[in-house]
Amino acid sequence: MAGDSGISGRRSGHLSASVYFGCVGLVTLAGTGLAMLARPAFGHDMLQWIGLESVPQAQASSFYAIRVAPLFETRCAVCHGDKRQKSDLRLDSFASVLRGGKHGAVIIPSDTKNSELAIRIFLPASDDRAMPPDGKTPLTEDEKTVIKLWIAHGATGSLRDIPGAPKPVAEIVIPELDLAQVEKKRAPLVAEVARLQGRFPGVVAYEAQDSADLEINASLKGASFGDADLQALAPLAARVVGANLSGTGVSDASAPVLATMTRLKNLRLSGTKVSDTAIRALEGAKALRSVTVVDTKVTVGALAPLRARGVTVYGDGDGP
Amino acid sequence: MDHKPQVPIWDIPIRLFHWSVVLLLCISWFSADQGYMRIHLVSGLTLLALLLFRIAWGLVGSTTARFSDFLHPPRRVAAYLKSLAGGERILHAGHNPAGGLMVLALIAVLLAQVATGLFANDGVRFHGPLALLVSEDFSTRLTNIHGLIFDLILILVWCHVVAVGFYLLVKGDNLVWPMITGKKSRAQLPPELNIVFTRLYIAMLLLAVSAGVAAWIMIQGESIL
Repeated sequence: MAGDSGISGRRSGHLSASVYFGCVGLVTLAGTGLAMLARPAFGHDMLQWIGLESVPQAQASSFYAIRVAPLFETRCAVCHGDKRQKSDLRLDSFASVLRGGKHGAVIIPSDTKNSELAIRIFLPASDDRAMPPDGKTPLTEDEKTVIKLWIAHGATGSLRDIPGAPKPVAEIVIPELDLAQVEKKRAPLVAEVARLQGRFPGVVAYEAQDSADLEINASLKGASFGDADLQALAPLAARVVGANLSGTGVSDASAPVLATMTRLKNLRLSGTKVSDTAIRALEGAKALRSVTVVDTKVTVGALAPLRARGVTVYGDGDGP
Repeated sequence: MDHKPQVPIWDIPIRLFHWSVVLLLCISWFSADQGYMRIHLVSGLTLLALLLFRIAWGLVGSTTARFSDFLHPPRRVAAYLKSLAGGERILHAGHNPAGGLMVLALIAVLLAQVATGLFANDGVRFHGPLALLVSEDFSTRLTNIHGLIFDLILILVWCHVVAVGFYLLVKGDNLVWPMITGKKSRAQLPPELNIVFTRLYIAMLLLAVSAGVAAWIMIQGESIL
């Protein structure tokens, strides 16, 4: 069999084993050194690993941390982050950004013309080298400018403010609607609301899609909506936060119902027959913010206590 | 070059496999590095075909190609290494016990590399032929493993080269030349020798089947798109 072996006497080669493996060690070291020169990112990794180079850190309040890092995180880290390191490049930490990728540094401090990253983000989308590439959310002009200015000002992790940098765009987060929670809040009044919505179409509505508070708008009903109609809404009065009764037929006779609307924030009574009696009924509406009494019999004197509470009054208040 | 009587040791398929793998590794490395992913794909699938062939050839091929010829229990590998350190020169026609272990390691690692490559993606424009069969997250994890295995391949290749250099420069055995010519001088071989060479058409048949499997995987990948 080929696997059968024979043992011959010791046969000397050209080198002793110790010399050979010494040479191998030197060649390995030289090769590693060449690799570190050819791939600076690898070089930085090695130097940091053996403790000959410190890991650069950015201050939490720096322009980089506040303005630049979030852009890298949202626009670049999908391909250059912890899960994937295209071209051996990570952009999810200050040290990684400065380290660069397999083709070397992508950022040259204070030199945007020769910084690969700055060049690529400004390339047209049709260019194969453009970053972020096809299919990825592109950077806005303001975002590109922020990155470019940061590089132009030395790509530091300490500089706090850069003059001329576009203002940050405020992010508005709209909370997700919890329909079950809304349903639970509305449960005690849902039947009554449905009944009154059937009786007064378009008059009763919830203040918002996640609220159990109500708004009344009878202004389109005109004079046909009177005190009796408002009285019919009395079972829901405690949940009413806004009421537009302008142009309706309501009068001071509705004062008792208005008095039960203790959570009212905005009330419109323009063009109605109400007078100071109705206004005085609002004493318990501690959350009231505005009252509109244009073309009514309400007097300035009746409005004074409301004004004193900080309620905005719209209307002349010059009734007889 | 040795001008003493030459004895055939390595068959043509083994030698072609060896140097093809060397070439394909270089092509795969260069193409991935430069972003020529289509070339990388073809290179990887060719490597897959060759590895499948090599496994089959290790079962039915010529004597020196067979796993049964060069895979030994760990105890024997350790004994071989010990004798090597002691300066003994133990002659083997094919792979020695340590070399056999290296062959197994390289085949296993290359197979793992090709397998992970089939499911890898670059996150932008390219993905392996079977990448769409798994989730993007899993594909990304395999892509990272694909990169790590490459580092392992470099280490194994370096160990392989160092070992070959050791035999050449310390032990006086040129292992490279026989892998080119297929022959060793009689003095480099054990006295008792019984190498049976499997017929070439069987190798061609196995290679055709292996290439067919690789092509089928490629077609499957195209059909997923």
